Amino acid sequence: MSGPSLAPYIMRRPWLRSWMMPFAKWYANASGYRRLGLRADDLIPEENDTVQLALKRLPPKEAYDRVFRLRRAFQCSLAHQLLPPEEQTKPEEDTSYLKPIIEEIEREYKEMADLESMTIQKRK
Amino acid sequence: MVLPAAVAPRALRAIQQPIRQVTQKRGLAAAASGSFQYEQGEAHSVQYASRDLPSATTTLAVVARAGSRYQPLPGFSDALEKFAFKSTMKRSALRITRESELLGGELSAYHNRENLVLRARFMKEDLPYFTELLAELISKTRYTSHELAEEVMHVMRLDQKGLLASPLNMAMNSVHGVAFHHGLGTPTNATSSSPFQKYIDAQAIADYSEAAYARKNIAVVANGADHQELAKWVKEFFQDTKTASSVYTIKNEPTKYFGGEERIAHASGNVMILAFPGSSSFTSGQSFKPELQVLAALLGGETSIKWSPGFSLLSKAAADFPLAHVSTVNQAYTDAGLLTVTITGKSQDIAKASKAVVDALKSVASGNVSDEDITKATALAKFRALEAGQQTQAGLEATGMGLISNKQPYQIDQLGDKIGKVTADQVKTAAKSLLDQKAAVSSVGDLFVLPWAEEIGLKV
Repeated sequence: MSGPSLAPYIMRRPWLRSWMMPFAKWYANASGYRRLGLRADDLIPEENDTVQLALKRLPPKEAYDRVFRLRRAFQCSLAHQLLPPEEQTKPEEDTSYLKPIIEEIEREYKEMADLESMTIQKRK
Repeated sequence: MVLPAAVAPRALRAIQQPIRQVTQKRGLAAAASGSFQYEQGEAHSVQYASRDLPSATTTLAVVARAGSRYQPLPGFSDALEKFAFKSTMKRSALRITRESELLGGELSAYHNRENLVLRARFMKEDLPYFTELLAELISKTRYTSHELAEEVMHVMRLDQKGLLASPLNMAMNSVHGVAFHHGLGTPTNATSSSPFQKYIDAQAIADYSEAAYARKNIAVVANGADHQELAKWVKEFFQDTKTASSVYTIKNEPTKYFGGEERIAHASGNVMILAFPGSSSFTSGQSFKPELQVLAALLGGETSIKWSPGFSLLSKAAADFPLAHVSTVNQAYTDAGLLTVTITGKSQDIAKASKAVVDALKSVASGNVSDEDITKATALAKFRALEAGQQTQAGLEATGMGLISNKQPYQIDQLGDKIGKVTADQVKTAAKSLLDQKAAVSSVGDLFVLPWAEEIGLKV
């Protein structure tokens, strides 16, 4: 579920990272989800098996908080309002809680596919 | 090749002769060189032992003193067993499965009251791979919470259902509980629908694994492996094993016998187990009583010879009730034992047979046994002990148990000697003391028909 991204390439190069970070911070703030109290990982489309499995693997507290944030955001959206500033997501709270699990599941699937399609060479 | 009828038998014999000689020679040579004896060693304070049998396959086992007796909370041993061969820091569970499939290996894990055994069977030349695998399992398994939720818990619940559906296993767990209360009395799997899930979480199992697979708490035992080879690979791969856990310790509390009675209603079968204090296992030292093994063979109930009821006293006593089946076993543990007489079958027949069994026990206790029967029982007990030691699985576990508790492998020759030296007087004394203590009785099945211990003349 994780698409191609330039981020790892940029993160590996400190000079490029220091160039890009201000722009990235501005973009994340401008996209507006933080004003509805959401985190970036809440926006990952969940209508597929990988993310569904990842959601099942979330610790109970994380899963509860996620549902709370989503419902609060729906409510804000229906009421055409933003959250008061103290309840909006702060940049340091916007952590990646779901992505690592999704990546692990994708690695599992990839390994399974690789093992299923391997060819065996006999020891000589 | 077609041979004339007259020549054929002789020709066949001639063909077979050299082969037979070869196999006979090999058998004698094996016995004479003492290859049934275990060689032992120690690396990174991990005990290991091996015997090199002339075979193309090897069985390698890690025996950990972490059976249900030692678990700190319910279900921990069971969960730890089911976490075997799950993903580790180095590779995933799927990769472990696929790799051992490619090598033709067989992986299994089981636990009982005292031990947790991880076992691999494979071709002799794959020893390094499987030694590394077992070492990795005990020191680097990840114990992830999603594997616990998705796989381990599921299999544990299935095991629990299997146990609940089996009257014999229910009765065996119940009689141990009645006899020993805590420790050995802890059921091997969850026996009721009590919520064992509330005790188990992945971190706790990981903590318990550090105590269970600590260096002093495990032994590596191999059958059919070269000792030098095994020594080399154990030394290389077992250096990462933990020394202890900061959370749990394996407590070795001495076992006390209590006795009593428990009755459980069950719809799918009838079992009655009468149990008495028995002999501990051979490697335990002073509480090992070979005469109780002879007594178990003397009471018996099952025949070892086809088309005959056998010489054993209980099979004679229960001969009138063909729908009841009696068997006597001495369940040996490190510091205690339980001599169990198990009666299974139709409830009415069990009711009558149990009375006959207790009458037979009383007549043995009053010294009413012929010396010939005792001779037969001694021979049978010796044979059974030797055969059990020779069989790979029981031998591996007994050896591992001995190595952990007092650094002594299970040498079956010595055991055979000890049983052979049992005298008739010893057996009679043991039989007398049997009924002096309280019995432990457990009945599972149709409780309307199955009698209470008091009714068949047992003191509980």
